[in-house]
Amino acid sequence: MSSKYKILVVEDEKNIRHLIGALLEADGYQAVPARDYANGKMLYFSHRPDLVILDLGLPDGDGVDLLREIRRDSLTPVIVLSARIDESDKVEALDLGANDYVTKPFSSAELMARVRSALRTAAFHSGTEISLDGTFTLDDLVINYGARKVFIAQSEIKLTHTEYDILSYLSRCPGKVVTYNAIIKEIWGYSDSGSIKKLQVNMANIRKKLGAKPGKKNYIENELGIGYRM
Amino acid sequence: MKTMKKIPKSLTNIVFTVFILATCFVLCLLLQTFSGAHALIPAVFILGAFLTALSTEGYLYGILSALASVLIFEFVFELPYFRLNFTVTDNLVTSAIMIVIAFITCTLTTKIKNQETLKSKSEMEKMRADLLRAVSHDLRTPLTTIYGASSALLENENGLTKEQQVKMLQSIREDAAWLTRMVENLLSVTRLDSTNVKIIKTSTVLDEFLDAALNKFYKRYPDREVTLELPDEFITIQMDALLIEQVVINILENAVCHAKGMTILCLKVSVLSGKAVFEISDNGCGIEKERLKTLFTGYYQTENLPPDSRRSNAGIGLSVCAAIIRAHGGTITAESRKDGGSLFRFTLDTEETADEQ
Repeated sequence: MSSKYKILVVEDEKNIRHLIGALLEADGYQAVPARDYANGKMLYFSHRPDLVILDLGLPDGDGVDLLREIRRDSLTPVIVLSARIDESDKVEALDLGANDYVTKPFSSAELMARVRSALRTAAFHSGTEISLDGTFTLDDLVINYGARKVFIAQSEIKLTHTEYDILSYLSRCPGKVVTYNAIIKEIWGYSDSGSIKKLQVNMANIRKKLGAKPGKKNYIENELGIGYRM
Repeated sequence: MKTMKKIPKSLTNIVFTVFILATCFVLCLLLQTFSGAHALIPAVFILGAFLTALSTEGYLYGILSALASVLIFEFVFELPYFRLNFTVTDNLVTSAIMIVIAFITCTLTTKIKNQETLKSKSEMEKMRADLLRAVSHDLRTPLTTIYGASSALLENENGLTKEQQVKMLQSIREDAAWLTRMVENLLSVTRLDSTNVKIIKTSTVLDEFLDAALNKFYKRYPDREVTLELPDEFITIQMDALLIEQVVINILENAVCHAKGMTILCLKVSVLSGKAVFEISDNGCGIEKERLKTLFTGYYQTENLPPDSRRSNAGIGLSVCAAIIRAHGGTITAESRKDGGSLFRFTLDTEETADEQ
């Protein structure tokens, strides 16, 4: 790889920081380690990384605040590391524009898959802007944005207007967890007490039409209590 | 029931006391009028004071009822009628005895009540201590492997064959994964700790829930297949999804680890009068009768199990399930099926799906 991707790792636990650094280097990325909030902020602005791996619990500040500062500056993909206890922080981070999260403890394969996927999404967004007549392909699922049509193995799936909008919105952020809030805001423009139920019913219909079976490899993954990932 | 709760405790105590006194009074009146069994009257009042002390809170009502009994007895049933006369030795002694008995009864019942709360408190303490002991015992084993294997790898790198190294690394990973699950269970226990349950229920779609839970299960046991049997309709359940997910995974995992000879693992969900019934069954070896009794409570008895079964979180896993389901207001049971294998069943309330847009 001639131009190495630069990845900033903000993590206060030395062992985990070293581990992630080693994993990244082994896969041909350049790791920039940062041990706390202040260090991370400085290194972000001086190194301009292609991706940030950010621990939410930092000793000198909240990881969510650092995410906020990064988002004010750029759309650099951010993967959040969290423990199971910070469930609400995770949703907050995703709503603030984090691309993905990995729960500790994680396997190396899991983390690296998320890194690759986040970098791919970023490239997808900056390079090939989705043209109106573009298509999206995931296994045998094809979305034709121009015609607003969805196919599985070449046969068309009939979706309602809203169902199509949700599916197409998810497909435009491949590999990213899209929170319930984000979808509701995008599709209906407002949110009230019935929004979640509306979304759930629409998603149930989409799943049925796409032939999804619980526990099988489906086009849309469920992140319980958080959102969906395509 | 609801109106009962709104009435303050003192009022129910007063009503009860008055009711008992009135009953005694009527009873004595009948006794005196029809049988002339005069000697029984103090006994009836003593019984009344005793009952009052037993069923009310604190000393106050028992003592009051004893005093009132004495006055009524002296005034109505003792010569001279309708006049208080404590100068007669008989009357004085009877009154004194009634008061003393009421006082002793009050003291004793209050003491017993206090002791009972103390006992349940210390039982909880004991349970917690037992749990801690079992857990630290269980944690030490995988930690020994991880510490030992990693030190061996660092110190003896050249003395070990490649195969040995891989084996050690595998055992490190295996035990770390086990520790992770143990910690997940412990986290749930602390969240459900004793009285203040901190579960956050949200409306969860059954399909989405099962998809997430099964995906987690398959990640750990890629070779296992869970046969699903689900209702067709759109069902949402108010639940703390992460906790219920753990219940499903713990039960499935329990089957994988303990149901010897299992070839079919089945998860069935049905809806019965507003309740979602989850049934997880296997065709393995079933559960021994002795074990069934303590299945959901006996996490501290892991020490009595053969060492290999301890490795699967069996002890703590199922008690965590029970605690989680209880906190959701549901029920959980386990049984051995007649045609072999075991069946775990738990229920949760479903939500009204009124507004299906």
